Amino acid sequence: MKRIMTMFRKELLDAARDKRSVMAGLYYAIGTPLIMCGLFMVLINQLSSPDDLFIKIDNADKAKDLVHYLESKGVSHSDDATKVKDIRLVIGDEYPAQMAKGEAALVTLVADNSDDKLQKSIRRLEALLQQYSAEMGSLRLIARGVDPRVVQPLKVEVEDQATADSKGGMILGLAIFTMIYSVFISGMNLAIDTSAGERERNSLALLLSHPLSTRELVWSKILAVTSFALLGVILILIVSKFAYALVPWQQLGFAINLSPSFMLLMFLVAVPIALLAASLQLSVSFMAKTFKEAQSYLTIVLFVPLMLVMASTYQVAPDVLSWLPLSGQQQALMEVVKGKELPLAQLLVTSAATLAIALVLALVMERSLKSEKVVFGL
Amino acid sequence: MIKVNGLYKKIGQVQALSNLSFEARDGEITGLLGPNGAGKTTCLRTVFGLLKPDEGFAEIDGINVADNPIAAKQALGLFPDPFGLYERLTPREYVRFFAELSGMEGAAAKDATARVLSQLKMEEIADRRCKGFSQGQRMKTALAQAIVHQPRNIILDEPTRGLDVMSTRVLRDMLKDLRAQGHCVLFSSHVMQEVAALCDRVIVMARGQVVAVGSPAELCAQTGHESLEEAFIQLIGTDEGIAA
Repeated sequence: MKRIMTMFRKELLDAARDKRSVMAGLYYAIGTPLIMCGLFMVLINQLSSPDDLFIKIDNADKAKDLVHYLESKGVSHSDDATKVKDIRLVIGDEYPAQMAKGEAALVTLVADNSDDKLQKSIRRLEALLQQYSAEMGSLRLIARGVDPRVVQPLKVEVEDQATADSKGGMILGLAIFTMIYSVFISGMNLAIDTSAGERERNSLALLLSHPLSTRELVWSKILAVTSFALLGVILILIVSKFAYALVPWQQLGFAINLSPSFMLLMFLVAVPIALLAASLQLSVSFMAKTFKEAQSYLTIVLFVPLMLVMASTYQVAPDVLSWLPLSGQQQALMEVVKGKELPLAQLLVTSAATLAIALVLALVMERSLKSEKVVFGL
Repeated sequence: MIKVNGLYKKIGQVQALSNLSFEARDGEITGLLGPNGAGKTTCLRTVFGLLKPDEGFAEIDGINVADNPIAAKQALGLFPDPFGLYERLTPREYVRFFAELSGMEGAAAKDATARVLSQLKMEEIADRRCKGFSQGQRMKTALAQAIVHQPRNIILDEPTRGLDVMSTRVLRDMLKDLRAQGHCVLFSSHVMQEVAALCDRVIVMARGQVVAVGSPAELCAQTGHESLEEAFIQLIGTDEGIAA
């Protein structure tokens, strides 16, 4: 135990002076929440408060009532080429006469339906025209003494059961994903430096020449990488707490708040994940002979946890994912975020599985370091 | 005291050691002399338990390395080749780390580190990071690491490679001091002068075997040559891989 502490202190001191290791964690932990915030702000701006829509309306004076109706709904004519959308509404020449006679009055909507950017505006204009049409139809029926409800056999009511918190859950799911992933990013450079780097600097054989068992060596390195990973989590939690408070969530009708109890839960969940990340990264990079080789292996290996966590974020996952390591914890955390009860069984099972994999990897590493092939790269 | 007995080791297709036996006694400097590829480094790695011999055993002060590696390594100090420095640590941190790793308590390790650093006249560079050190400064750091915990047995792998005259002298004086204190010093080398100047006993190795043992004078007498170089060439049967 004393030797593990000695090794652990050395690893941390060495790592803290390694700009590359420190920066890798810092950039991710500070940068990601800020980038996410920026994205959410743009997203919210697009979703809420539809801007005034400017289009070209030909023959507007033939249908004053319709144009007035559209204006009251935020759609109006403009000649200013910079803000006008490429949508043209043509009022037919016969419009006033047809209206007066109670016939179908012709309006033509001219727009490029294949232009994705215009789709939303076209749908909006179409819906408004339908509404106006329905309103006029009802008025005509009333004028003929008929209850307009006879032409509306179905009355559809939509009740949105999404609570404010569960709407925000989707977005927070993405935030949780960045936090879980920070465990893998923050410790990665140190993991490589302390294994493949140690071999590259020829200090691995020297270490093993000292009265130190490979178990002590492996665990001190795992602990060092784990503490770096957890530091990354703490940092990203703190940055997220302040950054997400800046986003105008209320415009979407819900609030996102990283409560202290959630932050604590996130940290606790991250502990076994960090152990797994550390042992996974170390065992892969101990196989590599140089820093660069380890880096390229790890990029591939890290894809697996990435996929697991992504799959549950986007809910493309079958049920089995809720019992697998990483994706299970991600889903459990998302439940909590959505204001539901903490699925304790799921969290315990997946955390135990995570720990078990970490232990197996540590054992494999311990054995492989006894092999002269691995140590000397024979 | 370091003793190896009947070591066999095959690495890949090469029989690196075949029936290697010798001993290095306390209070003596023993040189392991052999051409490149004779199996010197393989032999030293086996003594540290980093390589497992196919047959035979190595003992440190009577402790079998294979049976009790931790205890055996506790009685050993290694001056490795290459040095394996941590560039981001200072010599003081580096040496203290290895002192604690070798089983010294915190305060004792700190004192021992300060002592060995002053012994090697390293105070000036003791708190600078190793990055950018000259070869001589690196050698001193590695040497301090090897002897800080006062191991009974000290093993040096090609210690003088790449050193200037001043650094070589520091190293030689240190080794002589260690001998005077009764330590067992074993070093491998392919440099004749080095061995002739320092060693009480020379073990000449070739093709994984011991071909002769004795003091430099004895080796000359045994072969009938005046210089150790000539004696050596006759003993190993070739002049390949030897530095004069």
